Amino acid sequence: MNLRRLLPALLVGVAIGVLIFLLRMTQSVDSELHLQRLDNLQAVNTLDVQFNRVLTQAHVAALMTEGDERAVLTEQLGDVLDKLDTGKQSLHGLSPELDQALDEFLDTIKDKVLLGLDFQARTTQDNQRLLNSASSVPVKVDAAVAAATPAVRAKARDLGDQLKAQVVQLSVTPSPTNQSDIHALVDALDQLGAGQPAAYKDAMAQLRFAADDVIQDKGELVGTLRKFLDRPTGPQLQKVEQQYSAWYAAQVAIAGKYRLALVAYAAVLLGVLGWLGLRLRGSYRDLDRANAGLTRANETLEAQVESRTHDLSAALQDLRSSQAQLVQSEKMASLGQMVAGVAHEINTPLGYARSNTEIVRNSLADVRGLCLAQQKALSLLAAPDASEAEIATAMEEAEAQSQALSPEELMGDLHGLLQDTDHGLGQISELVSSLKDFSRVDRSRTDLFGVNDGIDSALKICQNQLKGRVEVIKQYGELPQIECSPSQLNQVFLNLFTNAAQAIDGNGRIYVHTLVEDGGVGVRILDTGCGMSEDVRSRIFEPFFTTKPVGKGTGLGLSIVFRIIEEHGGRIDVRSTPGKGSEFVIHLPLRQKRSVDTAHEAAPAAVAA
Amino acid sequence: MTSASNVTAAKARVLFVDDEPRVLTTMRMLFRAHYEVYFAEGGPQALELLRKQPVDVVVSDQRMPGMSGIELLRAARELNPNAMRILLTGYSDLNAIIGSINEGEIFRFVNKPWSNEDLSTTVARAVTAARVSAAATARSSDEAVTAPPAGPLPAVLVMDDDERVPPQIQAILGKEFRVFGATTMSEAVDLLEREHIGVVISDTRVQDHPVVNLISTLKQHHPELVSVILTERADAGAAIELINQGQIYRFITKPIVDNACKITVNSALKQHERLTHSPELHQRYEVAQTAEPPPPTSGSGRLLDRIRSLRSWVTRRA
Repeated sequence: MNLRRLLPALLVGVAIGVLIFLLRMTQSVDSELHLQRLDNLQAVNTLDVQFNRVLTQAHVAALMTEGDERAVLTEQLGDVLDKLDTGKQSLHGLSPELDQALDEFLDTIKDKVLLGLDFQARTTQDNQRLLNSASSVPVKVDAAVAAATPAVRAKARDLGDQLKAQVVQLSVTPSPTNQSDIHALVDALDQLGAGQPAAYKDAMAQLRFAADDVIQDKGELVGTLRKFLDRPTGPQLQKVEQQYSAWYAAQVAIAGKYRLALVAYAAVLLGVLGWLGLRLRGSYRDLDRANAGLTRANETLEAQVESRTHDLSAALQDLRSSQAQLVQSEKMASLGQMVAGVAHEINTPLGYARSNTEIVRNSLADVRGLCLAQQKALSLLAAPDASEAEIATAMEEAEAQSQALSPEELMGDLHGLLQDTDHGLGQISELVSSLKDFSRVDRSRTDLFGVNDGIDSALKICQNQLKGRVEVIKQYGELPQIECSPSQLNQVFLNLFTNAAQAIDGNGRIYVHTLVEDGGVGVRILDTGCGMSEDVRSRIFEPFFTTKPVGKGTGLGLSIVFRIIEEHGGRIDVRSTPGKGSEFVIHLPLRQKRSVDTAHEAAPAAVAA
Repeated sequence: MTSASNVTAAKARVLFVDDEPRVLTTMRMLFRAHYEVYFAEGGPQALELLRKQPVDVVVSDQRMPGMSGIELLRAARELNPNAMRILLTGYSDLNAIIGSINEGEIFRFVNKPWSNEDLSTTVARAVTAARVSAAATARSSDEAVTAPPAGPLPAVLVMDDDERVPPQIQAILGKEFRVFGATTMSEAVDLLEREHIGVVISDTRVQDHPVVNLISTLKQHHPELVSVILTERADAGAAIELINQGQIYRFITKPIVDNACKITVNSALKQHERLTHSPELHQRYEVAQTAEPPPPTSGSGRLLDRIRSLRSWVTRRA
């Protein structure tokens, strides 16, 4: 549940995170910084060129050094190089290739700047020496010329002038032929020495030294400058620039890729949003529809509720009436069974009583004939005018009839028959009165009632089920009369006795034991029937539960018993052992707790007819 | 008293069984003049008596402690097959009635309380039938083996509203039996006229008319015809009527149990054969007369007329 609620929030967070990441990656190329860096590189380049120019000028200008400008340049160059090396605009740490190129360049230019500083001191010194040596050359030439013989003096002066010019040219703006020219001139002057005084020769030797010094000094100066200018700052800087450009291009390319990804991602997000929107719209539509449905349903709900209520109450009514019908049919069934039993009980005495009456009536016809014959004989005897023969005939006739009938025996038989008839009629009236007792139709519904009497009348009613087969052993206590509905209690006892009789296959016994209990009476009815299983025992008071075949029992008998006992505020328990028998124990209170009226209302359906 | 002529040289022996001794007293008064009467107050006592002394008629109460009337009559039939059996009952229990028809093969049901005249008549008829059939049995035991009847086996007629029943019975009985079906009584009468029918199997009502009149008439004029009732609407009153007025041979209830049905039809056909062979036995299965007196029956022409009039009666009702 929690996870399901957290998941959408988590998804939204991740989506926004990805968006931010992509945006940052796209923003990673800082064009301003890029321009600054390019400017820096450009500045380095310019300064380097200027530096070169300054040094070169210094070289040319020899002594006219401009130390101030060079110091400014060095400072500027140092600043720019610092920027390249460290700080925000630094090119360090961008790519290994760039690092290498940059380091290389920085080393070189550092060397160059150091060289530059050194150069200043060196050139000053060298220039001084050059100036000295160069200025000594004309002196030596002049000395040599002075020492020369007049024959060659002119020539020597010419050569000496040329040599001076060459040396000046060499020291200021050297040309490639300068050195060789100088050597050639010195050699030419030397050749003039043949036959010349020693002084010339000395002068010539000094001149040669001086010329060589100039050449050497000039060579050193030029070498120093070349060494400086030869530092490969230009290409290296170019390389740095190239590397940086390459790095930048790569950066731009990556940024481009991320931008593409961002676009794609944005498109996806847009798609998702669109889908969500559509879904939302769909949900709204559904909601709208449901709302409309609800509104409609609300409108019809009342009518529906009303119709359902109507249906339900009709169904309830049906149920009630069918329950009442079932209870009624159970009552009719047990009534029918009772009536059938009682009918048989009545039909037997009725049968012989009726038959006997007929026999007696028929016999009376014979008796009347005999009486008439005897009457006739007697009246003839009494009559004065009757002849003896007539009297004798009448007497004989009467005697013959009397012989045929044997009145003594007949009277005895008839008496017996009438006695039987009496007995039969007595039995019938007893049965009818026990029926009346049982049903209590002529008594009030709630009454003070002796439970023992009820048990007796129920036993009489079901006599036909017990007679000759089931022995009833009664053990009655001295019971007080209890307040109850006698007809209902009679029905309880009849139902229990009927069940007991049905449970007994063949011969058996029913024990009935009543006793006084605390606040009421107890009745125990024990049979030696087939008993029942625990499963059956736990269900026997349920309505419609029956172990009889379909159509033989409604399954309501014991449920009605249970209800009647319950309505009397009593209790009924059952114990049973399969194969041995069952025992029902009833406890009934002396007085009803509820008022007589409510007891009436609660139990009208169960009142026996 | 009116049946004195039925009594031949030796008085017929009649056994009465009832658990109420006063009933027995009454019976003694009623019958002692005409028969040699025996009494028993219960089933076991009656059977003991029957073992020593065969009787012609047994009249028993149904509801008796220990052994019911049906149980007694069934046992009596085995002990003393020629004795006619009458059940006296004050209480109609359907199962008891069906049991008595099928197992006790009883002659009549008599309800309590009874009328002396009716009871006397019934007992007298039973005595006559018993006498005649005893003579026949004696003769047939002399002849020992009787030749099987020539010609085709008599057919079975099934009367039922449900058209599916005759084919079902044909299927149960097998090919060797001829089964005809009829859904109306006139159809049935036509078939009875045309075919040699030995056994009629019928529901209690056909086209909403009780068949008891038809069966009763058939039995009166065609005594060798054997009828079996096959129904799902078993009713105690109808069953009593059918036995008393129709002398039905068996009463079986639906659903049909194949084996039981086959056995019943087989024994019904045997019964028909027996009745055809020994007309003396007819009296054993004589039916109680209804109010209408039967016309004199002599010759088959009369029978056909009678059946035709029956048919007109049926068509008038239908």
